[in-house]
Amino acid sequence: MKQETTAQGKPLIRVEHVRKVYRMGEEKVVALDDVSLSIYKGEIVCFLGTSGSGKSTFLNMVAGLEKPTRGEIYIGDIPIHKLDEERVTLFRQKNIGFIFQAYHLLPMLTALENVSLPLIFRGVDKKQREKTARAMMKAVGLEGYEKRKPSQMSGGQQQRVGIARALVGTPKIIFADEPTGNLDSNTTREVMQLIVDQVKSHGQTLILVTHDRTIADYADKVVTIQDGNIIKIQQNTSDVESTLNEN
Amino acid sequence: MNNRDLLDLCFRNLFRRRARTLLAVIGVVVGTCAIVVMMSIGYGLTANFQEQIESYGNLHLIQVSSNGNNGVANQDDLKGIINDKTLKTMSEIKGVDAVTPIISEYMTVAVGKKVTQTEFVGIDADVLEKFNYEVSEGRMLKATDKNGVLFGNNVPMWFYNPNKNDWSEEPEKVVGEKLVITADWEYGMKKKSSDSDKIQYPEFKGKGIGVLAAENDESAYRVYMNMADLEEIIAANKKARKDNSSSTNSRLGKTYDQAWVYVGEIADVEDVIKVLKEDMGYYTYSPTDWLNAMQDTANMIQAVLGGIGGISLFVAALGITNTMIMSIYERTKEIGVMKVIGANLKDIRKMFLIEAGLIGFGGGVIGLILSYLISFLMNTVLINVMGSFLSELGGYGSSVSIIPWYVALGALAFATFVGVAAGYGPARRAMNLSALESLRNE
Repeated sequence: MKQETTAQGKPLIRVEHVRKVYRMGEEKVVALDDVSLSIYKGEIVCFLGTSGSGKSTFLNMVAGLEKPTRGEIYIGDIPIHKLDEERVTLFRQKNIGFIFQAYHLLPMLTALENVSLPLIFRGVDKKQREKTARAMMKAVGLEGYEKRKPSQMSGGQQQRVGIARALVGTPKIIFADEPTGNLDSNTTREVMQLIVDQVKSHGQTLILVTHDRTIADYADKVVTIQDGNIIKIQQNTSDVESTLNEN
Repeated sequence: MNNRDLLDLCFRNLFRRRARTLLAVIGVVVGTCAIVVMMSIGYGLTANFQEQIESYGNLHLIQVSSNGNNGVANQDDLKGIINDKTLKTMSEIKGVDAVTPIISEYMTVAVGKKVTQTEFVGIDADVLEKFNYEVSEGRMLKATDKNGVLFGNNVPMWFYNPNKNDWSEEPEKVVGEKLVITADWEYGMKKKSSDSDKIQYPEFKGKGIGVLAAENDESAYRVYMNMADLEEIIAANKKARKDNSSSTNSRLGKTYDQAWVYVGEIADVEDVIKVLKEDMGYYTYSPTDWLNAMQDTANMIQAVLGGIGGISLFVAALGITNTMIMSIYERTKEIGVMKVIGANLKDIRKMFLIEAGLIGFGGGVIGLILSYLISFLMNTVLINVMGSFLSELGGYGSSVSIIPWYVALGALAFATFVGVAAGYGPARRAMNLSALESLRNE
């Protein structure tokens, strides 16, 4: 595998020979076969694959939501695959932001409070976190919507709140699982541009998971997954394809 | 997560499910109310019993009676006999402060034209002081007061003019007044019965010394004299009746029918009674006899009533658990999201515990307010209805329901505890929900 990237030195995320097998009654389902990959700081990586390809499983394991059956995952020097749930939750709180397809805002909280939530979990005091959250809402173009409840906002607006929530704690890595899956194409373009701009301006690493090829255009690197294996890694920067040997 | 944010979040969750929260809270309200009101009736009963018993007499006092075997018993057996020797033994029982033999005679006492009939009690004036009686008027009886009479609090109100029908409620002035004491119940009447066999009782001159202060005591219905003075009067009365029996026995010396034993600490009364009855063979009477029996009844009633209340709170606890479990199902996705974006596991558990605790606490507070209201209504509006119902259980008195502060506080703490305990299972369950599973719930 060739590593021709803008990033240098040690990779931020290191995935080594990860395998995940689900047991469905008597049957075993191999979600990931044998995946190895490195992601560098500041990269925008898109995992492209159909439903059931194993792309979401991959993301869940890197985020520590699931444990691999075999293999190792390191973020920096921390072995994510070894942490217990309590530690991995704490790790996510400090280092990872999440953007969901279905937004997943808490309905009883206002937009501002939803954005503040990661800071609330960290125990940041109200004055400081609201200042940060307001600035973040302004950055995603939702100034004036602070007091609205999620039910009073459109899908695009809700996803902007979701993005603001993912970015507010300035995490090192942002995971986005089908972030535009519930949006129309115009809004998709706006939202994607927003995410990419924000991530780039803060030097954060973004991991996108989607089945939509047009989304892949926003990424520096596109990783295609099929049947639990990486079949192609593609650099977008210079339109040069570096195709893996399909084994 | 800091506690204020946690609490804030809990309140919002509770208010979001307003109807369900309200139902769970009402469950706790009913439970708390049931326990507190039921127990308050128990406390009311106990207080009434005590009030009632204090009206029966002084709780420090044991009245001892001889077993009436004065002549029959063998040489050395003093069992059940009151004489100087056994009186000394009584005074040596642990807890006993004072002992006095008692003689009594039912006679007429007159002040000017007014008379009344009452029980004269002969007592050792030096010992009387130890009985802790207080006077409201005049002074205590002294050994030197020849034919001095100390009145029970109610006696001065009983004087009447036998020749008129004026029953005034006003107490007659007796302190410092000259009195006439006689066993003749017709004394002062202009029209006497013409019975030829009528005994001619002697009349004695006496003096009013003081009036006792205690109103609801058996002492209030008697008058007191020095033992020696009353003995003289009784002897004279006997002579008038031509009665030759003697209370003096060659073997036992002077014997008495009754004695009073004063115990300093009410707690010791029971032990003293035991010694008097079982070891010394006397008959005893003490208001504490009643107190114990009534206390047992009150405790039992309270336990039954409290138990009924406890059951309602237990049902309320099931309500809370149910509410919290439903809430978890409803919020599975939210809990997942919170976990994914970094809520501490302990915070999630705390959130559910606090929510359940708040239901318990809130229900407890409202329940207490309601309990005080019900208690107030029972003591004012319903006292007549409730009073007659409770008098069948053996109580009567000024209040039906009493809520001591420690019961109120205890009930509140208990309701909160029940809430938290009921929420514990669901809270653990919420904490252990897989973040991923809950996110799939779309």
